[in-house]
Order: sequence, then structure tokens, then C-alpha cells
Amino acid sequence: MAKSDDLARIIDGCKAGEAESFETLVDIYGRRCYGYFYRLTGNREISDDLLGELFVKLVTKIGSFKGGSFESWLFKTASNVFYDHLRNKQRQRKLLEAQKRQAISKLAETKKSEGERIDELQIQLEKLDAETRELIMLRFYSQLSFKEIAKMRSEPIGTTLSKVYRGLKKLRELME
Amino acid sequence: MNDRNEENLKDLFEKFLDSEQAERNAEDIRKGEEILREHPAPEPDGEVIADVKAQVVRELLGRERSVTKQVVYKVAAVAATFIILATVSVKLFEKGGGPGKVVRASVMPAALWDSEDIAADDVDLAILTAEIREIEEEALALQLGGNGGNGQIDLEELETELMEIDSDFWKG
Repeated sequence: MAKSDDLARIIDGCKAGEAESFETLVDIYGRRCYGYFYRLTGNREISDDLLGELFVKLVTKIGSFKGGSFESWLFKTASNVFYDHLRNKQRQRKLLEAQKRQAISKLAETKKSEGERIDELQIQLEKLDAETRELIMLRFYSQLSFKEIAKMRSEPIGTTLSKVYRGLKKLRELME
Repeated sequence: MNDRNEENLKDLFEKFLDSEQAERNAEDIRKGEEILREHPAPEPDGEVIADVKAQVVRELLGRERSVTKQVVYKVAAVAATFIILATVSVKLFEKGGGPGKVVRASVMPAALWDSEDIAADDVDLAILTAEIREIEEEALALQLGGNGGNGQIDLEELETELMEIDSDFWKG
């Protein structure tokens, strides 16, 4: 992880529109953000796309980062990118209703090919509800404290703590 | 992922639970997160990272071009405003404040004014003067009702006579 002084310098470079600074940011956070997207989607291709979308979004949004925890800001943006993707997926699903038969067969094929690559944890994660899964991944990959996550989600810390606790407990049971 | 934040989970849970329960819950969270560490997500290919970097550079270049375009458009808009203002100002100056055109006005007929045949002009002037005098006399007689005739017919005759004089005069 970059030291805070180094990170501040990199962020300043990004704000000045320096490509090298953005590239450094990709090197530092690319893998963690990718892991976050992958655990939420279970799909490498989608994770590739979302990672690209996230960093392109950072180019336009970096000016709005006014200090504080960069990880918190970054993962909030990543979370927005993920939810945008979910909304698009729902929209696509509605469009596909008109071509139901074709869509079903296509989805079945996709699932089969993805299933070959999905690890055990991914299978069990999909049994958790979407919000809990996202919260657990946010906590794990952003490395933020419960206090920061609660602040990011605008909810009491007790709520965040309880959701993560219950989610992780259920995941442990599923994995045993 | 060993350098996770240093918050004390037990202390955090103790705000809501008794010490024993807080310890148990903190332990459950640690074990749960241990599972995530034991099953790392796949890492992005080097190609993906390179592609993301390329996308970022493209976006930066696009923004630079867009900023340059905006500057050029702004400069062009300002220049156009100046040109329009200057054009309008010149037009206004020409209409109102500038020296006006000299308008030639003359009580004498233009043909006579421009003529170089002084002798012929003198004869014409003499005839014109005589005819004017005659008309003046007739008009005076009409005013006084001296000729004892029909006023309307007299006026028509006078008008006809005036038209003839005018026509003859301009014919030279």
C-alpha cells in the first residue's frame, strides 16, 4: 500500500491530468478493485469491463476528491460502478423478455461456461443476499474500518457491524 | 491483505454486547474474513491492466482535446462578438454621426441650370417670366371675380395652361 504522502502526490498528479499518476493508481488499486468486482459478479469478463469503467470514471471524478480516506472514496465510486452495472443488467433483462427463449438458452450456456471457472467461495457467496455480499466485499477489499464503511453507507455503525457479522457467519456455515 | 485496519473489533462489539459475546462475535468476524483470505479472487491479467491504463490515457487525451476545443470556441465567440460590435458601430456612425451627403437643391429647372447656351436661356427666361406674369394676372382676376365667368372652368383652363407651359418649357 502506498504511504499517505506518496498517495497524496499521486492524487495531485491525477488531478493535474498526468497519465503516469493514473497508471500508478491502477498499479496500486487495480487488483483489489478487480477482486471486489469479481467477487460481486463471479465473471472475469464483466470484472475486466468494470475495472476499466472505474478508472475511466476516476479521470472525470478525481477533481471531486477533497481529501479524507482515498480508499473510502475509491470504493464508493467502485460500488456506484457496480450498481450501475446491475441496473443496466436489469434493463437488459427487461429487453430480453421479448426474446425469452433465445435468452434462456444463452444464459444457460453462459452459466455453464462460467461455472467451470468459479471457485467454491464464489458459489457460496452467491447464496448470500446481494447487499450483504457487497458489504462483505467492500469491507474485505477496501480495508476500511467499520466506522468508515458506516459513514460511507450513511448508516449507524451497529447496523454495518451486525450485517457483516451475520453475513460472514452464514458464509462460514456454507463453507464448512 | 495482512495490513487490515487496526480497529479493535472486541471494543466495537462491546458498545452493543457484553464482553463475552463481543469477544465471540469479533472472533466470528476474524474467522469469516480468514476464509476470504484463504480463497483469493483471481487477479486481472497483465493485458487487462494494460488495457485499463490505455483507456485512462485515451480518456485523458479526449478531455485535453475537449478543453482545447472549448478554449478555441470561446476565443472564436469573443472574436465574433467584437467583429459584430465593430460592424454595427461603423453602420451606426455612418447613419447618425458621420458627415451627411450634400443634397443639391435648386428652385431653377435642372435643364436650365446645366445649360451652357446663355442666349437661348435668356429668351426662354423672358418667355417664362411673361407667362408667369400673365398667369398671375389671371389668378388675380379670378380672385376678384373680375372676368365674370364660371370660376370652375377658369380654374381648369388655368391648370391646363400651366401644364402646357411646364411641358413646353422642358421640351426646350
